[in-house]
Formats: sequence, C-alpha cells, structure tokens
Amino acid sequence: MTAADLVIVLLGVVAVGAGVLVVATRQLVHAALWLVVSFGALAGSYLVLTAEFVAWVQVLIYVGAVVVLLLFGIMLTRAPIGRSEDLDSGNRIVALVVAVATAGVLVTTLVRGFRSAYVPIKDRVGSGSSHTLGGSLFQTWVLPFEALSVLLLAALIGAIVLSRTDIGGAGPEPEEEEPEPRRRPAAPRGTVARRLGTARRRATPDDEDTIVLSRVDEEI
Amino acid sequence: MTPVYMAAGDIPTPHIEYGRLAPVLIVLGAACVGVLVEALAPRAQRYGLQVLVSVVGLVAAFAWTIALGIGDQPHHVAAMGAVGVDGPTLFIQGTILVLALMSMLLIAERRHEDSPFTAQASTVPGSPEERESLVAGLVQTEIYPLVLFAVGGMLIFPAANDLLTMFVALEVMSLPLYLLCGLARRRRLLSQEAAVKYFLLGAFSSAFFLYGTAMLYGFAGSVRLSEIAAAISKQGGDEPLLLAGVALLSVGLLFKMGAAPFQAWKPDVYQGAPTALTALMASCTLVAAVGGVLRVFYVGLETLRWDWRPMMWAVAILTMLVGAIVAITQTDVKRMLAYSSIAHGGFLLTGVIATNKAGLSSTLFYLAAYGFTTVGAFAVITMVRDAGGEAGHLSRWAGLGKRQPLVAGTFAFFLLAFAGIPLTSGFTGKFAVFQAAMAGGAMPLVIVGVVSSAIAAFFYVRVIVLMFFSEPLADGPTVSFSPATATAVAVGAFVTLVLGVIPAPALHLAQSAANQLFVR
Amino acid sequence: MSETHVLAEGATLNSFGHDPWWIIGLKALVVFVFLLLTVLITVWAERRIIGRMQLRPGPNRAGPFGILQALFDGIKGALKEDIVPRGVDKVVFFLAPILAAAPAMVSFSVIPWGGVVSIGGHKTPLQLADLPVAVLLPLAMASIGVYGFVLAGWSSMSPYALLGGLRSSAQVISYEIAMGLSFVAVFLFSGTLSTSEIVAAQAHGTAFKVAGMTLHTPSWYAVLLLPSFIIYIFTMMGESGRIPFDLPEGEGELVAGYHTEYSSLKFMMFYLAEYVNMTTLSALCTTLFLGGYRAPWPITWFWSGANSGWWPVLWFLIKIWMFTFFFIWLRAALPRVRYDQLMKLGWKVLIPVSLGWILFVSVVRALRNEHHDVGPIMIVAAIIVVLLLIASFLWERVSASEAQPEEAEAAAEQDPMAGGFPVPPLDAPHYHGVGNGRAPNSAEATRA
Repeated sequence: MTAADLVIVLLGVVAVGAGVLVVATRQLVHAALWLVVSFGALAGSYLVLTAEFVAWVQVLIYVGAVVVLLLFGIMLTRAPIGRSEDLDSGNRIVALVVAVATAGVLVTTLVRGFRSAYVPIKDRVGSGSSHTLGGSLFQTWVLPFEALSVLLLAALIGAIVLSRTDIGGAGPEPEEEEPEPRRRPAAPRGTVARRLGTARRRATPDDEDTIVLSRVDEEI
Repeated sequence: MTPVYMAAGDIPTPHIEYGRLAPVLIVLGAACVGVLVEALAPRAQRYGLQVLVSVVGLVAAFAWTIALGIGDQPHHVAAMGAVGVDGPTLFIQGTILVLALMSMLLIAERRHEDSPFTAQASTVPGSPEERESLVAGLVQTEIYPLVLFAVGGMLIFPAANDLLTMFVALEVMSLPLYLLCGLARRRRLLSQEAAVKYFLLGAFSSAFFLYGTAMLYGFAGSVRLSEIAAAISKQGGDEPLLLAGVALLSVGLLFKMGAAPFQAWKPDVYQGAPTALTALMASCTLVAAVGGVLRVFYVGLETLRWDWRPMMWAVAILTMLVGAIVAITQTDVKRMLAYSSIAHGGFLLTGVIATNKAGLSSTLFYLAAYGFTTVGAFAVITMVRDAGGEAGHLSRWAGLGKRQPLVAGTFAFFLLAFAGIPLTSGFTGKFAVFQAAMAGGAMPLVIVGVVSSAIAAFFYVRVIVLMFFSEPLADGPTVSFSPATATAVAVGAFVTLVLGVIPAPALHLAQSAANQLFVR
Repeated sequence: MSETHVLAEGATLNSFGHDPWWIIGLKALVVFVFLLLTVLITVWAERRIIGRMQLRPGPNRAGPFGILQALFDGIKGALKEDIVPRGVDKVVFFLAPILAAAPAMVSFSVIPWGGVVSIGGHKTPLQLADLPVAVLLPLAMASIGVYGFVLAGWSSMSPYALLGGLRSSAQVISYEIAMGLSFVAVFLFSGTLSTSEIVAAQAHGTAFKVAGMTLHTPSWYAVLLLPSFIIYIFTMMGESGRIPFDLPEGEGELVAGYHTEYSSLKFMMFYLAEYVNMTTLSALCTTLFLGGYRAPWPITWFWSGANSGWWPVLWFLIKIWMFTFFFIWLRAALPRVRYDQLMKLGWKVLIPVSLGWILFVSVVRALRNEHHDVGPIMIVAAIIVVLLLIASFLWERVSASEAQPEEAEAAAEQDPMAGGFPVPPLDAPHYHGVGNGRAPNSAEATRA
C-alpha cells in the first residue's frame, strides 16, 4: 500500500464518517458543517487522484458557495443553538434499513466491478489538469455543456419568478394604477435589516414573524 | 508571447452540425429571446410579444424538422456524437413540437383576461398581496420562456446519443416543469404542493439516473450508448455493474414516463398543475420520455434484451393494471386522466419490449395519436368551469351532455379514443402496438393489455353515462368558449378521428421513420 | 538585458517539487513570520498614516515613531479576559476565529515573492508552492474564510453578530464571483493558472501591428487588461471587508458585526485575519496584474541585474506596500456605502461588466489565434464603447431631469412631524437610487 492509497483511504473514512454525522447529528447547523467536512474530504480525494482543478473547484463551489448558502437559509429561518428534538423522523428505522441495504448493494457492485481494475496514478498525471478538462468539455461534451448553461438560465428565471415581489411595483402603465385606497407600496429591494424594518412597519405584531421570513427568504 | 500561451491554443474547435440541430437551437433561441423580451419590453406589450415569439419559434422549429425529414435520409450523429438525428428522433421531435404548439394555445389562453397561471407567483396564497396582484391584472409572462426551455429539453432528450447529454436534457426539461406546476391561478396551495412533490420525486429519480449512468460508465468506459452496446456484446451481460446500472437507469427513465411502481407523482401533479400545463406534460413530456426510453433500450441495451425483458414485462403489466384499476375509484377528472395516462404508458411499454421495427413504428404512431387526444381532452377540461375555476369533481359533470351536447360529445369522443374503441386513433394505436408485441412473442402482455383496456373502458364509459344519462345539476358548471381553446379541442378531435378512420398515411410515416431504427 | 537571462531567473512549474524538506519548512516559517510582522507593521502604519491624513500625530510614544504600539496592543489584547457569553455553541464559537485566520495565511503560499535563488547550494524558487491551478487556491481559501465570519455570527447568540455574519458572507460570496471573473482575462492572456507562470508571462509584451506600425503591448496585465484590474481593485475592497465596504462590522448599525461578542485572543484572531487578508489580496494583485516580483520597466532599462538574485523580493515588497497604502488611504478618504449599494455594485455593475469584458477579450484572443489583424477591430470597439458611454451618460441626464419633479412632489408629501414626533421618511425614492418608486406618505406609515 502506497502513501497515496493510505491517504485516500483516510479521506474516504473522513468523508463517510462526516456524511453519517450529517444525518445523525441533532444540531441543524452542525449538520451543515459536517457536510462541509465531507465535501472537503472529497476534494482531498480528488487532489490525491491528481485532479487538481476539480478539487479546487469542489472547494470553491460546494464548500464555498453551496453550503454557505445552505447555512444562510438555515440562519434566516431557524438556527437554534443546541439540540433540536424535532429533527428526528418517525421513519428513522426504516430509513436506516433502506440506506444500509442500498449502500450494501452499491458497495458490493462497485467492489465486484472494480476489484481487478487498477490504474496507477503516476501514468495519469495531467489527466485531471485544466487543459485536459477544458479540451474534453469543449470538444466531446460541448453540447451538454451548452445545454447546462440553458438549464442554469432557466433556473435563474424560475428563481426570479418565485421570488420577485416588486413586479407589480408602481409603473407607468395605467393598468397598474392604485386599485384600492389601501394599497401598500411594493416591497423595496434592500438589505436584510431594511427588510426587517419594512416588514415590521407594514405588519401587525401577530403576523410579523411570518412576513419577515417570507420577505427575507427572497433575498437568498 | 510565452510558449505556454501557444500550448493553450491547441484545443481544436468542435464540429457542430448547426443545420441538423436547428430545431433544438431555434426553440432554445426563442426562449432566450423571450428572456430578453421580459427584460426589455414594456410590461403592457410583453404578453403579446411572448406569445408571438413562442409560436413563431415552435412553428419554425417544426418546419425545420419536416425539412430535415424529407431532405435526405436522416441517419447521422451530430454535435461531436452527442445527439443522433435519425428518422424516429425526427418523428418524435415533430410530434413534440406540434403538441407543444397545441398546448401553447391553452397556456396563452386569456379567458376574460384570466390566464391559467398565477398573477404573481411570489405572493402567499390567500394574502392581501395576492388579491392586489389579481386586481392589478398582473401576468407572469416569464412562463413562456420557461415553457420553451422545457420543450427544448424535450427535443434533446430523445435525441441524446449518450447518457450525459440525456441527463442534462432531462434536467432542462424537468426543471421548468417543476416550477410551472406551482403556478396555477386557482387552488394555489394544491398547485404548490404538486410542484414540491414533483420536484422532490424528480430530483430523486434524477439521482437514480445518474447513479445508473456512473455504473454503466464503470462497465463500458464510456457513456455513449453505442459504446455501451459494443461493450455488452464484447464482455457479455452478466456483470453486476452492468445489471445494477441498467436497473438504476431504468428507474430514472420509467419515473419520467410515470410507469408503475414509479407512478405516484403523476395523479397529484396532473391534478395540481394548471390544466394547460398538465396538457403539455401529459403529451409532450410523455412523448419525450418514451422517446428516451426507446433510444436507450433500442440502441444502448439492445444486445442485453434477454436480461431486461422480464423486468420490463413486469413493469408493463403492473403499469397497465395499476393505471386501469385505480382509475376506477377516482372522482376528479384530472386525476382520472392521470391514471389513464399511466395505463397508456403501460401500453407504450409493450411496444418498447417488442424491440423490432414494428414495435418502434407502432410506438411512434401510438405516441402521436395519444398526444393529440390527451391535449384535446385537457382542453375540454379547461372549458368546463365553475365559479371557483375548473369543475374538477366528476359529479359536477353530471348531465353536461344535455346542456352542452357539443362539448360533452367531444369529450366523450376523446374518452372513447382513450378506451380504444374502433374509428378512433386509440384503436389503431393499440392495435398496432399489440400486433408488434405479438410478433415479438409477448402474447401474455397482449392479453393483459386487452384486459386492462376493457377495465379502463369501464370508467370511461361511466363518465360518458354520467354526462349524458343523468339529470343536469341546477347550479352546474358553465362552458366558456374561447377561440384558442376551441382550436385546440378541434385539432385534437380532428386528428383523433382522422387517425382512427384513415390511419394509413400516418402509419406509413411512422414506418418509414422507423425504417432504419435509431442511429448508433 | 538579454531575454534568455531573464527567463532563466523566472520560476516555472517545473522548478517546484525538488526542494529538500528543510527548505520547504524554512519557506513556510518565513511566510508565517512575514505575515505576522506585516500585520504588526500594517496596524502601526495604518494608525500613523490615518493620523497624518487627519492632521494628528497618531501613536508616537512606544518605541521610535511609536513602532512598538501595535506589538503592545497585541500583547494587551491577548492577555485580556476571554469572555464566552452564556448559551453560545462553544465548539463553533472557538472554531470560527481559526476558520477566519488560517485560510488567509494559506493563500499566501502560492504567491511568488522572487525568482529562483540559491539557498545552501540548492536552487529553489522563492515561493512555497505552486500548482497548475494555483490561482484557484486563494479563491477557495477566501470562500472557506467566509465560514469564520458566518459561524462567528451564528454561534455568539446575538442578533447584531448574526446580521453581521450574514452580511459578510453575502458580501464575500457576491464579490468573489466578480473577482473570479476578473481573473479570467488574465488566464486567457497568460494561458495558465499557475502563479509563477503568470508572472513569467508578464515579462514581455506581445508585438502587434496597428496601421503598419509594430507596437508592443505593455507587459503588465494591469495596463493590458485595465478593466479587469479595476474590477479586481473593487472586489479586493469588497473581499477584505474594509471601508468603504466594511458593512459586516458597520459599527453604527451592528456594533462590531460578527465579532461583537468576541474578546481577547479570539478577537485578535479576527483582527489578524483582516490584516493578513489585506496583505494576501495585495500580493495576489501584484502577482496577477503588476508583473509580480519583476522590476518595473524604468529600472530594467538601466539595470539588467534587477531581476536576478534576491532583488525581486524588494520589488515585490514595494508593490505590496503600495497596495497596503492604498487600502489605508481609502479608509481615511471614503465613507461607508449602504448595503444595497454594495450589492447593487457587485451584482449589477461588476459582474455584468466583467462578463462583457471577458467576451471582448476572448473574441480578440480568438481572432488573434486565427491570425486576423485585431488592430482595426480594437479601434472600432473602442469607439463603440466610448459612444455607448456617452449615450448612457446622456440618457441618465435626460431621465434624471424627467424624474426630478416627481421627487419634489414626493418630498412635499412627507409630514416631518407626523404623530407629534419628528420622523424621518421611512421610504423615499432616493433610497433606491431611482425616482420611480412611490414614496408612502407618513400618514400611511403611522397607520401600519
């Protein structure tokens, strides 16, 4: 067993262990943090496999953006410090059985499929470089790549559709003249704090929380 | 200038056959134009411009598809092998485009200035903001580019020649649909629930698809369907990686089709989504999904057919029976049609299982026939309205035939087509599919198919009886006519009739499209 | 100065990976000590320079010119009582300062501070490590650093800290996109993501012809890719979280932002992180845009040895300190922006401009790769850009003059003494930067 083998095994243990903790921990924010550890260990595995570009992009995108936004969402809605007792599902035994069974099947399949396959890393140095990756992205996979950008555009439009509240903002068109005397102004775009302020001003104390959340959610 | 820089220039430009990809590119281009319209045009003109852009895009793409089909013998791979342009694909793409155009008539409908989509998606259902946005007459015109994005994905999906392209196409087609499902104008909570359900289950099935892809890649060293087929014939078919990969991939594909046991999303989503969108999903998405299934099983896994056939037999039988039997207990029209759509998915699978030219051509014909009928049927549903929107509950339809014989008659005609009564397209389609399955040696499947058709016919006829032979309700639903919907209904009914009475030209078209099978 | 001579001095990717362990250890130690010392000096310099700019002496008692002030402050800060508020999530509370400080230091490892030198008989580049994708490392580290802020804000059980943490994470993520985009043009021109090779690529300009004349493009990307450089400067300010973009810790609104509840050594860690970050960002900018450790051109004219031996370290330090001074100068000169202005600048100006610029650069690059003459195209493009700028400026003027009466009207509606108390308007059009939003009058505000 070479040093690289050892490192990749250790990283695998970390990734899997952190993954288990994501599901097992009773603290919401800690779950997100264990997810970060898991992603980080995965990035480490990529590094060992000499796929440097993929490794750093993994850190940049998954660790740096996706989970941060996840945390962002948790913190803006609810992020209690300490244990939350309601995080457990009544189906957890069933879920455990299903998960273990799935993992068993997949691991068996992979082990049986790849037991004899062995690719020495030394021969493949450079196969994970940005040059190779770019070459294959913009040669063989150019159509899926472009289709993915279309997908992202569609997702972007979708997010706007779901979140924008100010499309009814006072505009020059006559149809948008004030329909009733008590019409409220469209929510202004602004900081979270300003949102809090806006919502508070517009709401009675009872429904304050819900309105605050619905306003703040849109920022994400 | 450093030597490093010179080295960067050695990635050659990929070769893209723009002409052969044009239908897809036109639709996606029109979607992008729609986004620009949304950004730049004044609000009052957006609706008109968006409808114009969408219709022109779809028509142009359809025209180009026809030109491709009659030009040369289409049998090529394009875009560095990512997509195949061949007879069956063009037939499927053409069908999707026509059906999308028909659905677009429903989507663009503004009955009394009342669009089927919500005025402002971001408002909380029941909130004062929602009321304000309704009163202000706002419209969410972003739906048109989103529909076009989805249609673009549907066009790529059956054409995809490798699993990666297929996955991306799957997402391009699904993501806008997840969103659009939640944008109904009435019963918004139901609609949002449908969207969340569809999204969660869809994401789950995408994961299955990806996992299967990864395993097949592990087996064959490539995600290209032709190379997977080559690897299967070289290495034999009893590798656990291959079998697990095929199983997971099939789960992902069958979910999109709504085949049992992955059908759970279909009734909820079809019921909750705006009916215009349900029409799109029931026709175009089903056509695209079956197209993808056909390509995967005819090209990639064809050499493995003795292994997957038993599984597909089971799925097809289960799908037909579940669709037909559960539909009997339904009381909501849209839910009932959803189960009917599940059952039809089963009939389509019998054509897939045949794995021969007859199976392919009959499946293609069935897809087209079913697509037109289903869009027409959902169009009728949008016309029958109560005070609170569409009259969903079946009891509201009682006696409709006495008050509105034309509308009820058309609906009855569509139902008969679903049931597969002679002189409708449904009969021809089923006949062709069962014939192919019989030729392929799947006699038990055919028997189950005929039995479940008979079960299904029971509840279709029950609705017809309800409409024509019970007393009309005093406060029964009204029928609201409008040119666009009426056109969709008329086209649907006309095609259903023509394909039932003189099916030869369409059958011939499907046969010639299927003549060379899929390109590898 | 012969070209071969200069190239022999510059490090490339091949120069790495041959060092004995003690040189690597030495380099790591030097980087660490250098960063700590730089922080001390920067803190002192900042207070002195700002003092000068505000016509007061600044700290001048401890040591000559008060240079020990920062050290004493540091010792005092570390020895203070370490307060841990009740109810905090202790593990995360401890982890956050480390997560903020460590990545900032790690980033520095890919910065080249000199060419190849000889240490103890070993030829070695003056750079801790280099990767084929080295520039991604500072970006990745910056995004890990965000965790420090956001977790500090969350774990300290204080709404001020939470809002500060959220603000900082949103700010850093937004500006990181524009920052990454500003690098793309550099990558396109240098053809590499390795820092040492980017420095090497800036050694000489490329020759191109305009109207029959052979011209040399400037070798520094700061000149050649000026828009990228400017965008980087903006994003650098945003990433560092300093004035004018120090919203996360805007003391007027949020006390001290995410580190409100921190004290003693943990607080010092945040302090350290901020200043190390500043140094790292300056060093990154030097490397990518200002030719790295290479001597500036007037010097290389009359002194051919300027790029050999240990001299490059001097040029590198001078360039870094120019940026540090720039940071301090801005802090003395500028007020803080509002948070929505910050976000608007990031998302609506920097990112679109970056994208447009990348498009332009890659078109030029592609044309040149296919051996087209880009000179006339560039001139036409420049003219179009200038015309567009003028048009947009005129458009702004016209629309502003149209909007003015409306604003005046809205201002007239407001009752400054609504309800018997002096109230500032809660929502006025100029808060949004445009004149089309309708200002609610204060009667409506009091009703709600």
